Amino acid sequence: MARTPSPALDRRSRIWCLAAAFACALPLSLLIPHWLAATLVAASVTSIVLAWNRPAPSALRFLLTIALVGLVFSAYSFKLGRDTASALLLAMLMLKPIELNTLRDARSLIGFSLFALFAAFLLDQGPLTLALALPAAALTFASCARLADAEVGVIGLATNWKRIIAIAGLFALAAPLALAGFWLFPRLGSPLWGVPDVAQAKVGISDRMAPGDWVDLLSDDSPAFRVRFDGPMPPQESLYWRGLVMWNFDGRGWTQPEGWPRKMKPAAQFPASRPVRYEITLEPTDRRYLFALDLPQSAPEGASLAQDLSLTSRDPVTNLRAYTMRSAAPARFEPDLSDGIRAVALRLPSGFNPRTIALAQQWRSETNDDAAIVRRALAMYHEKFSYSLAAPPLGRNSVDEFLFDTKIGYCEHFSSSFTFLMRAAGIPARVVTGYVGGYRNRIGDYWLVRQSDAHAWSEVWLPGRGWMRVDPTAAVSPERVFRRAADNAAGPGGGTAFGQLFDVGDWIRHGWNDFVLGFNAVRQQSLLSAFGLPNADSSDFAIAFGVVTGLLLTIVGLFQLRDRGPRRDPLLRAWSRFTGRLARAHLRKLPHEPALAYARRVAALVPAQRDDVLSLSQRFALARYARPEMDDQARRALIQALRAFRIRNRASS
Amino acid sequence: MISGAHGFAATWRRRAISFTRPRRAEAMPVAIDRRRIYVLPTRFGLFIAALLCTMLVGALNYNNNPALLLGFLLAATAQLSLHATHLALSGIRLRDARAVPVHAGDNSILELRFDALRARPRPGLVLACDAARTVFALPDAEDVHVELPLPTTRRGWLHPGRLALSTTQPLGLARAWSYFWPDVSVLVYPTLETQAPPLPTHEGTGDRMRVRAQGEEPHHLRDYRVGDPPRQVAWKASARTGKLLVREYEAHSDRDIRLDWNTLTSLPYEARISRLARWVVEADRANARYTLVLPGQLLGPSQGHAHRHACLQALALLPHG
Repeated sequence: MARTPSPALDRRSRIWCLAAAFACALPLSLLIPHWLAATLVAASVTSIVLAWNRPAPSALRFLLTIALVGLVFSAYSFKLGRDTASALLLAMLMLKPIELNTLRDARSLIGFSLFALFAAFLLDQGPLTLALALPAAALTFASCARLADAEVGVIGLATNWKRIIAIAGLFALAAPLALAGFWLFPRLGSPLWGVPDVAQAKVGISDRMAPGDWVDLLSDDSPAFRVRFDGPMPPQESLYWRGLVMWNFDGRGWTQPEGWPRKMKPAAQFPASRPVRYEITLEPTDRRYLFALDLPQSAPEGASLAQDLSLTSRDPVTNLRAYTMRSAAPARFEPDLSDGIRAVALRLPSGFNPRTIALAQQWRSETNDDAAIVRRALAMYHEKFSYSLAAPPLGRNSVDEFLFDTKIGYCEHFSSSFTFLMRAAGIPARVVTGYVGGYRNRIGDYWLVRQSDAHAWSEVWLPGRGWMRVDPTAAVSPERVFRRAADNAAGPGGGTAFGQLFDVGDWIRHGWNDFVLGFNAVRQQSLLSAFGLPNADSSDFAIAFGVVTGLLLTIVGLFQLRDRGPRRDPLLRAWSRFTGRLARAHLRKLPHEPALAYARRVAALVPAQRDDVLSLSQRFALARYARPEMDDQARRALIQALRAFRIRNRASS
Repeated sequence: MISGAHGFAATWRRRAISFTRPRRAEAMPVAIDRRRIYVLPTRFGLFIAALLCTMLVGALNYNNNPALLLGFLLAATAQLSLHATHLALSGIRLRDARAVPVHAGDNSILELRFDALRARPRPGLVLACDAARTVFALPDAEDVHVELPLPTTRRGWLHPGRLALSTTQPLGLARAWSYFWPDVSVLVYPTLETQAPPLPTHEGTGDRMRVRAQGEEPHHLRDYRVGDPPRQVAWKASARTGKLLVREYEAHSDRDIRLDWNTLTSLPYEARISRLARWVVEADRANARYTLVLPGQLLGPSQGHAHRHACLQALALLPHG
């Protein structure tokens, strides 16, 4: 069959499709680097305007495609990830409208646009993205409606607003069905394939900590996680959210060791108090580590607790992750240190920071008391050092330069230099990174921990006591550490209307995380068990989904399918039964034969039932053609009689 | 000539017809009920369905809840649009269908009258019969006249057969269609010969004019029309009434024109029919009395519209040679 060329697109339909495409591009373009999105959109708009009246030469289009794709790749430093792929998709979506001449072009643009909408959710699942996606989807479907009209050539029958309203009405009708699918469609307990990585890492604590790295992080106010305490909460100054424990120092930065802490059993800990219970909702980090209050008692599902009591997830946290934890401050933490671990906790790279090593050895020669050395170091920080995010950069012997020359820095500098100093003095020490404090949202009664709450501190091992948290930054500038805690009474907006607004906004986001993003296979299970179906498996859900969807479709159907063809008159049905019986006795009624003529013909052939046949036909003809207002009782009697009619054996008569 | 492929297609077409409703011509009015509406996704609908399936599978795999919400919403909307497509046809009623006879080669306009049992906006309805199609809307169940131009190629009875009424409203994702098989036949007159010789057995236009002007009793007087010859003006009567009146004469019976099949033996079969049809039309236009002689038939002598129709019908229904 020959393929007919696709009909040309009229101007208004073209504008509809372009509007839909740009609306669908909006959520995605907010999620990729702004300069890149702006460039893509500008290139697209320019070429659409230039190619409006006559199609651009294909060589030019090809060159533009190459240029934009190259731009996207270079923006992600030629690394592939789902962010690179999404930006490429946006580039394609922006290039596609340049050739928008036929109906087929328009329909493939619509497909592309819908694809871009979903791609945006791979990068962000926030309420804003969905709020932008819904009208964009409505616009896309309205364009479909416009194209359906353009295809048969009825243009301009519906106004633009009527189209949008019609689609919104269809969405409203579809919403219950969509929710049924959302809650009841069988969910996967574990994914069949993993989420592709991103090429550009998100802002957040990374697996390496070197002084000076965190300037961007500490000024980023995006949320890291939210915490809801179940029961009493610990005092604010002990809100240290433990993340990574870093043992290895290469002269410049600290890193986690390659595996041995994760292979060993968690170290012994003796809680000083009853544990607190809380639930953390961690924003996606694309990394594996989880955060917990010092010190976690056990690992949540899908994660493990290392020897140094850091938490590692089995899979990268690509989606919002909620987990329940119990933590307690330790009275003693690993009081018996094995020699192997002690050696790791004292290891220093050779050839770095000679002045610090000299200072530590001098301190060590003056006293044998580890606790006294720790106190002396903290006193030194308190007296001579100052806190500033604008710390001067450090050279090769970073600790020396910081301790003896610059004397200005923030948590990274303090924890790094302090840990080095302790090790040099023969005290086992390690760096811990994580977050500190948090901000209480009084509307939702939960704690918000932001990226700017990132913190690094130290742990030193003291005989009899075990590992003990020491925060040298707090010795320099306690208000910096507990800035949030101090601000807490007022909130980030200082108790103003803005602060209230912030609280409400973040509370909505928290609710979104809880009700929308947090819904998974586990929550789905508890949904059915609330209806008395514990331990439902996916086939139960398939049944529930089918039943509820069927029910909803019926309700919607009653709304939509009220229309059935006119019901056949029961009298007519009884009559055709009557003639049917006669037909089976080879007395078929001819289609053109009037009822009475037929009756007379039959009566002549069946003399035994002559009177019956004649009177029934007469009554039928009267009821049907002469007196339609015949009273119901007589009508019902006639129907009864017609149905009761039987042919008696003709041979016997 | 019917090729093998055509024969195969025709067989399947017949089979398809026997599976769909209606299976034979039906008396009007005919209403579309749900049992005779067929709905299938369009190519675009399949494309969107594949797209949404991919999205939903991906969203389920990643437990990406907003994507899942949007995906289910779009899928449910698409599903409901199928219902809407169905409903756009349901309840439409064909009140009657008729067509004025035309000559083969011209388009026969099939005039159909539709209404609906339930008021609904019903835009974008496509009525098609083979290659012929027309688009109309049926708003608020009111009576709508639809004209479907049917191309004709052969004289005789044209049976339009099944008419397909279809729509892809509202989103173009699915096409719903239903068939009507109105019990209507269109008479197609024979093609008129274009370069036919003048009518036989009369003396030409000028003579006829003279004969008519001089001849018989004036039949009646009528108003002057531009182009009437001055000789025909009834001056006395005009003076009496104050407006120009013209005499009209009735052609006399002995001026009958005889259009005889048997005189045209030199022509091929269909050409004879064409010529006779042309002569019938011309004779009728000249307002003459004429007789048509066909094998085994004699029509007339008579004149007027009914006679013209009878003659052309007789010509149209001659067996195909």
